[in-house]
Amino acid sequence: MSAHPCADSYSHALAVAATIGLESNGHDVTVLDLYDIGFTAAMSKDEHDAYTAKQPPLDPMVLEHADLVQQAETLVFVYPTWWSGPPAVLKGWLERVLVPGVAFTFDANGKVQPALTNVNRVVGISTYGSPWTYVKLVNDNGRRMLTRAMRLTCGRGTKSTWLGLYSIDTSGPNDRTAFLDRVEHSMAKLRSTR
Amino acid sequence: MNTLVVYCHPDPESFTATIREAVVETLTAGGHDVRVRDLYGEGFDPKFSAEERRSHMTPGPHESVEAHAEELHWCRHLVLVYPTWWSGQPSMLKGWMDRVWVRGVAWEMPPGGKPVKRRLTNVRRITAVTTHGSSKWVNMVEGEGGKRTVTRSLRSVCHPLARTEWLAMYGVDTSTAAQREGFLTTVGRKLAKVKK
Repeated sequence: MSAHPCADSYSHALAVAATIGLESNGHDVTVLDLYDIGFTAAMSKDEHDAYTAKQPPLDPMVLEHADLVQQAETLVFVYPTWWSGPPAVLKGWLERVLVPGVAFTFDANGKVQPALTNVNRVVGISTYGSPWTYVKLVNDNGRRMLTRAMRLTCGRGTKSTWLGLYSIDTSGPNDRTAFLDRVEHSMAKLRSTR
Repeated sequence: MNTLVVYCHPDPESFTATIREAVVETLTAGGHDVRVRDLYGEGFDPKFSAEERRSHMTPGPHESVEAHAEELHWCRHLVLVYPTWWSGQPSMLKGWMDRVWVRGVAWEMPPGGKPVKRRLTNVRRITAVTTHGSSKWVNMVEGEGGKRTVTRSLRSVCHPLARTEWLAMYGVDTSTAAQREGFLTTVGRKLAKVKK
């Protein structure tokens, strides 16, 4: 899942580097470029009703994504961090795709049970305007959302990998190139099995 | 106190809508000047666009969110009313932050790599009123991302002494009507104490 409005952005270059790395290792990669495919960011009233009634997603694009997620062994999120979290379109992707019956179910007591046990690993690749210390100070909320809330709700024993480029506003071309390399190499080393 | 209530829920009959009514009623009765933004109601577009991205080095809001930016500078008390989803703000509210809290509105970037300068020093108080489907314990384990986004990330560009208040109801999915009523009472009691 890639979420940046501009196709010529550094964030897109990171998604490409991740894809190249994964494919070099024989992984089968599907890229969902959320801006490019015109993914709707907000959960609608009808979708919220369907969620509450534990009905399947209504939007064909969301159904397609739900199907992909249920087959995936690794989920990779590539995005710029804004206000300590993912862009609205990626937040909306979680809300609209990872619904009851797709990502988790409720047991008889109303407790959440993971349903994405097919997912072995969650990977986050993000750029931050702020330095690392500040990101930690505000709690790195996007990372927490993906590596805790989502990982714990959807999977069992799911691992996580986090790759961040901090202080991007003051970073030079060397820092950016080095991070692209790091992303590609990390993804090339990723194993699909536990 | 000039108070901006930003409300976000797709269903006008939701419990969050009831909370908003209680919030607005209490604050109005307290003599505050209250403005309400209903993001779903007005059909707010939460997607930060390619055009906005390309002009993001130029300070100031995009023309489509100028009124939102003006209100943000007008208020002394910012109140966010929303359900917590995936431990954070709904995408609709996150998009309001992405699009309205931009350079020249919420912050400035001084030249020479100096730290970001806060622009919302008019905001002296931030209150978040939210519901969580899961328990407080689960939210603690998950890191309370939504809470930190408000009390740390958003607060960082407001007045240095801005107060934050977190009014959250946990376990709303399995709550009883009496518990929800109790939460509304708590919200009313807390907001009634806010000085004019």
